[in-house]
Amino acid sequence: MDSLINWLETRTGFKAILHEALYERVPGGARWRYVWGSTLVFTFTLQVITGFMLWSAYSPSTRTAWESVYYIQHEMFLGNIIRGLHHYAAQAMVLLMAIHLVQVIIDGAYKAPREMNFWLGIVLMQIVLGLSLTGYLLPWDQKGYYATQVTTNIMSATPVVGREVQVLAQGGSDYGHLTLTRFFAMHAGILPTLLVAFLALHIYVFRRHGLTVHDPKRAPDTTFWPDQVLKDSVACLAVLAVVLLLAIFRGAEMSAPADPAVKFDAARPEWYFLFLFRFLKFHAVESLGVTFGAIIVPGIIMGIIAIMPITAKVLGNFGHTLNRIFIWALAVGVVVLTVMAFYEDANDTGHQAALTEAHRDGERAIELASGPDMIPVEGAVTLLRNDPFTQGPRLFAQHCSGCHRYNGHDGRGSMVTDAGAAEGAAPVIAAPTAADLGSFGNRKWMTAVVVDYSNHFSWMKNSAWFRDAAAKAAAGESVEYIDPDNSEMADWTGGNTKSLNAPENADNVKALVEFLAAEAGHSGTTYDPLLVAKGRELAIHGTWAGALKDTSCAGCHDTIGQDFPAEPDDSAAGSYPTLAKYGSAAWLKDFIRNPNAARHYGPKNRMVVYSSQKLSDKDLDLVVRWLTRDYPASNVHDYDDQTAVLNSALSPNSTTEVEASKE
Amino acid sequence: MTSSSSDPATYPAEFLPPATETPRRSMLVHVITAVLSFVIVAVPSTVGGLFFLDPILRKKKSGAGGATDGEILKKDEAGFIRLDVTKDSVPQDGTPLAVTVRDDIIDAWNMFRDVPVGSIWLRKVGDGAILAFNSVCPHLGCSVDYIRAENHFFCPCHTSAFDLDGKKTNEIPPRDMDVLEVSMRTNGLDDANGVEIWVKFQNFQKATSDKIVI
Repeated sequence: MDSLINWLETRTGFKAILHEALYERVPGGARWRYVWGSTLVFTFTLQVITGFMLWSAYSPSTRTAWESVYYIQHEMFLGNIIRGLHHYAAQAMVLLMAIHLVQVIIDGAYKAPREMNFWLGIVLMQIVLGLSLTGYLLPWDQKGYYATQVTTNIMSATPVVGREVQVLAQGGSDYGHLTLTRFFAMHAGILPTLLVAFLALHIYVFRRHGLTVHDPKRAPDTTFWPDQVLKDSVACLAVLAVVLLLAIFRGAEMSAPADPAVKFDAARPEWYFLFLFRFLKFHAVESLGVTFGAIIVPGIIMGIIAIMPITAKVLGNFGHTLNRIFIWALAVGVVVLTVMAFYEDANDTGHQAALTEAHRDGERAIELASGPDMIPVEGAVTLLRNDPFTQGPRLFAQHCSGCHRYNGHDGRGSMVTDAGAAEGAAPVIAAPTAADLGSFGNRKWMTAVVVDYSNHFSWMKNSAWFRDAAAKAAAGESVEYIDPDNSEMADWTGGNTKSLNAPENADNVKALVEFLAAEAGHSGTTYDPLLVAKGRELAIHGTWAGALKDTSCAGCHDTIGQDFPAEPDDSAAGSYPTLAKYGSAAWLKDFIRNPNAARHYGPKNRMVVYSSQKLSDKDLDLVVRWLTRDYPASNVHDYDDQTAVLNSALSPNSTTEVEASKE
Repeated sequence: MTSSSSDPATYPAEFLPPATETPRRSMLVHVITAVLSFVIVAVPSTVGGLFFLDPILRKKKSGAGGATDGEILKKDEAGFIRLDVTKDSVPQDGTPLAVTVRDDIIDAWNMFRDVPVGSIWLRKVGDGAILAFNSVCPHLGCSVDYIRAENHFFCPCHTSAFDLDGKKTNEIPPRDMDVLEVSMRTNGLDDANGVEIWVKFQNFQKATSDKIVI
């Protein structure tokens, strides 16, 4: 062994290097406060290791970036740990860097003769921030896409060269493949190379001047190895433990694939930039423009920090005191602004709703990508574009929620509020003016139609058209409209409530509901064929017991039990709405397009006619498939049922003032 | 390497780095060496640097074709795109309607046919004319929402607010919402009473008070 070491020593002189590296003098003994620089070197090493591994599976392009990150995270062995480590270590690095900087300033380690090293540190800080920025975009998810858009738009506000800087960063006038390839080259190649170079200089100059020691007599002098290295290792282990635990138990999130055509209302920068985000929102800052708040002020702050060695040199101890006050004030300001941003977002219902939707979309995209069809070559972005579970709620909120609700909300989980509330006043929950479609076409819906018709459709009575028509009717005018309380159907259910709810018809109601639900035939439900057959008999031949005897659905709705025609027309329309495959996708599509056709509500109709100009065929298909649950089943947590919230807001005892929303 | 525990004196002479004296050379050799060294580093650096500047230096720019809908052209030479919605489907009462604009996009080596390229707000005003706004916030590029309860446009990122005519109502955005050119047509031909809505979809630079096309 000795001879081997000697052989190597005579050929390389490594002992001298090793000695130089390990036996750095530590005056006053090893201390915990010296560990920060080492934790940064360690974190960077961790980033290099995990980064190279991610690189081995990552593919930068708009049609492969999200896809490959998804694959790393959800398919590859330990992929979630590697990505999680990289994700959290990046954040740890920013935090440790801030601590390192504050400590260097408080301890006066920036003063002569260590100015150069301080400036090298400032350069390293910019490089690390550059790595954060470029890394955030690489998964090409909505969150990174929109947050980075803000950053590159801020770049464009740089005086004189802003636009050119932005185009260079983006690799073109807009985001695309080249944005990713360039960001990736910066993130994995250029910036790390610069970081290594500057880090080498930083450590070299540090060794030249040694530690900044305030109390050399505190303890006997020692050497870097093993006393200080022991403390450093313990600190690095603590950092590793934290990021590893976060990676295992929290994991790095992925939002939905980036889609320039889909708004992302939950956009926020990474938490360590939230202070700047919050700072930009101050009215006084806003009024001075983006350039001022996002470029000039941070530039001045960086400038003040950069000239600290000069300040201390020129003003002596007073300068050092000024510097310390400044860095403390800055640190407190950053913490306060960050807390403010978190607090305000937590209390912002709009932002919370946007976050809920962002999580729902993200989880759904991952669910579809892991599904049997995997990701199409057109990219994961098409997964959500063509998914009823994702698009249905949005289309419903846009086109239907003016009148209808879905389990009490607007389809996207938010309550519908009245227009025209006074500025600053609490929004008033609006009353629906048409049926709640949350249970449309399923057993619950069919039961309500059969035994509770008037109540089930009673939301209509909130509408202006209803009040208008009812007033006209009361004045003796002839007006055709749907009155949930006053129609043949209302008479049938209302007049027979007792019999419908009596034990004699309990099985019959159950059978009829089963038949009606089976006719609607929503996906994901199985129906009892015996009950369905019995229900069909009831619907067509009226095999009821008691007072209902000899009444049948087919007595009025003569098409019940038939197939819904492929090309529906009104040639066979009677005076009652068709119930052929009532509640099915075919029925619903025809109804949305032609609610005023004689086969549906005819002249009684008050629903908006959704022509293909108003709602494209594709969108109609998506919203109908969503309402009839015709999509790959999902385990993603759906929007909470808000029926109770709606009912309590609208109850007469509620203090909330309610007005029927405008038509 | 100033200090070492090994004593170099114990090494056999041939294992020590050879001692060199600085030789004297004429000025010319210094200059030539300096120039050559500079050139061999400068040439690849310059070429590399210029390559990196490609996005602002490249002359040849490929242009997007017109998206077609079967045989019907959806985009004309002036850059107007026919929307899927018509005038009749924009709410009469002036409530804004969000519409997705589809077009072909060239992204580096790919041409994506008829894909969503952005989102716009349409509004019917007074005499039935249609106003179109790009939904991208002129502040920093987030998306502007229509808030029904307050009947105005609002950006959730940095709270930019605009009235229904797109005029900014606070100091956050640097300019009003970006109005897009609209042309009403019948079968693709200008017709003030037509129901087809054609919009010249453009994106503009963010964070400036001027409206500069990207």
